[in-house]
Amino acid sequence: MTTDETPIPSEDSPQPAMVRADLLTGLMLIVLGLAIVYASWTMDRLEVRRIQPLTAPGLVPGILAAALTLCGTILSFRSIRTPAPGGWRDLSAAVTSGAAGRALAVVVLALIYTLGLVGTLPFWAATGIFVFAFIMIFECWLATPRRPVMSSLPWALGLAVVTAIVITLVFERAFLVRLP
Amino acid sequence: MIDGLLMLGGGLAHFMTPLSLFNIAWATLLGIVIGALPGLTATMGVALLVTLTYKMAPDQAILCLMCLYSGAIYGGSRTAILLSIPGTPASAATTLDGHPLALQGKAGTAMGLATTSSALGTMVGIIALALIAPLLAEAALKFGSYEFFWLALFGVIISGQLTAIDDPLKGYIAGILGLLVAMVGMETLHAYQRFTFGIPALGGGVDLIPAMVGAFGFAEILGVMKRKAQARIVTSGDRVIPRFRDVFAYKWTTLRSGLIGTFVGIVPGVGEDVGAWASYAAAKRTSKEAHLFGKGSQEGLIAAETGNSAVVPGAMIPTLTLALPGSASAAVLIAAMYIHGIRPGPLLMTENPEFLYQIVAILVFSTIAFTIFGLFLTKPLMTVLQVPRERLMAVVYVLCVVGSFAITQRLFDVYVMLFFGIVGFLLREMKYPMAPLVLGIILGDLLDLNLRRGLALTNGDPTPFFTRPISAVIWLIIVLTILMSIPPVNRFVRDLFTRNRGHASAKG
Repeated sequence: MTTDETPIPSEDSPQPAMVRADLLTGLMLIVLGLAIVYASWTMDRLEVRRIQPLTAPGLVPGILAAALTLCGTILSFRSIRTPAPGGWRDLSAAVTSGAAGRALAVVVLALIYTLGLVGTLPFWAATGIFVFAFIMIFECWLATPRRPVMSSLPWALGLAVVTAIVITLVFERAFLVRLP
Repeated sequence: MIDGLLMLGGGLAHFMTPLSLFNIAWATLLGIVIGALPGLTATMGVALLVTLTYKMAPDQAILCLMCLYSGAIYGGSRTAILLSIPGTPASAATTLDGHPLALQGKAGTAMGLATTSSALGTMVGIIALALIAPLLAEAALKFGSYEFFWLALFGVIISGQLTAIDDPLKGYIAGILGLLVAMVGMETLHAYQRFTFGIPALGGGVDLIPAMVGAFGFAEILGVMKRKAQARIVTSGDRVIPRFRDVFAYKWTTLRSGLIGTFVGIVPGVGEDVGAWASYAAAKRTSKEAHLFGKGSQEGLIAAETGNSAVVPGAMIPTLTLALPGSASAAVLIAAMYIHGIRPGPLLMTENPEFLYQIVAILVFSTIAFTIFGLFLTKPLMTVLQVPRERLMAVVYVLCVVGSFAITQRLFDVYVMLFFGIVGFLLREMKYPMAPLVLGIILGDLLDLNLRRGLALTNGDPTPFFTRPISAVIWLIIVLTILMSIPPVNRFVRDLFTRNRGHASAKG
């Protein structure tokens, strides 16, 4: 369907960091695949129930895991064979970059909110704190250029209150959905 | 035929109530806004809206979800033209010509043409949906376990192949991972619990909606927040409503792009982005103004927008008749249909034939709605684009938590959302497509059940899987697809063809 002229943005030579990331992923997929193959092989074959042996519950997961192992192997081999000068350095730079830091900050905030606050505090309070913290951290600390605290504060406070109230009311009253 | 027209009339009349029209208006408008906001995609919007439609009547719920879906695919074009960022992945091809047009002071023309071509593309797809779906449903009645097994595998493979054109291997890996996720929980043939590790919540398997909210919601938030700068809006005060001759001049491009988009939609799990790229490539190959493509060609813009919009109705064809989702958003729609007690699949035309025509009617109404909003609400939509992402994403994450919790009211589903968000983000960063993963989750059960049921029926003999005519066609396509994705084989076949063509031209 596609030919050489297809305007899909593609790089002719793969990025070195990606090549190395592929190697790591490939190895992880091999381990995961083999683990599932083992688990499927040792899964109960329900012989007691006298089912047709080929309908054992482990059949499909086993086949899929074997396919995953194969794909992981191909991925790893391809990565080893592709020259990637400075690949490891680029990869570690990408992992420690500011962009990765910002993504990590979102994950940390999300984890604190979801695992810590929701359930211990009332939902509206947890939500308000999360929205406030999120906006303040990303506007006044992790942004370039940083915004002055005083200009973000009213927005962060206002949105936190509005979100907490509106979401709680809309879901619980209008749509009759229970909240965590 | 007459029956079909009568039922279509019935479908249109069914939604001519004030409540339905109100729902069409807000859902389509919300869709356009979601599509226009970078980082909010159609799939995410549909997955989050399922929560809100949970208590609605089934027809109204599906109405809202479909309107949001079609509005969002259109809405992405606005951002593509004005900011050069695709509002949803579907509008990536639109940026190539839409933004240059805006830079030339023709932002209004570009927005207008994007609107009319989206509407025309959807119309081409709607006609195909109304004509093809009943036929396909009838043909699908002959499908047995053998065919459904191959169809499920075909869906995952073709989606893996076409959503990761640079590297089909990553598409396959994503598909296999999705299928493996579907293996968790109680299997349906012998009621045996697989891979539950003693966790009771895993017994029911991984629900699609929380997984989708994670992979398309939380992962998207991470992706958006990772980026540093926000783009500047380019706009101009020229006329938005296009002239008839501008639209008519590209009638063949529109028709061709509409057909390509519809076809891409029919292919399981291959969505609007591929539809847009495929019709853009086809238009570029045949266009008289090919040199203008990428520099502000109206034809390129029309091809991309017609192509992505035609995928929406096209994707509903396999979704309704085979229960194979035609796109990632359609996968959420299937989950939503099950929640509301509608069973898509070959029996739909026997059990609930009006439903198909109601979907057709919904698409007609949503097309009218987004055309009106798109042409007349230019200014308000522009202000939407100025919302800072820091403020938006905080609220969106709260919606992700609520959306994954609300359906079954278990905190476990929120953890599923978190897991899929983080894993989905890492996979996306390494260029693994999400569509095959989702398709795998939804088709895993179908594949597993039908393979083992088929083997049980034949007492372990796999021959019918290969010898039944429809099965044979599907597995041959699968084998060819996989073979063609192996670089040396692909190169060999391509050389073979170019050499033959070279000979032919030498002789001629």
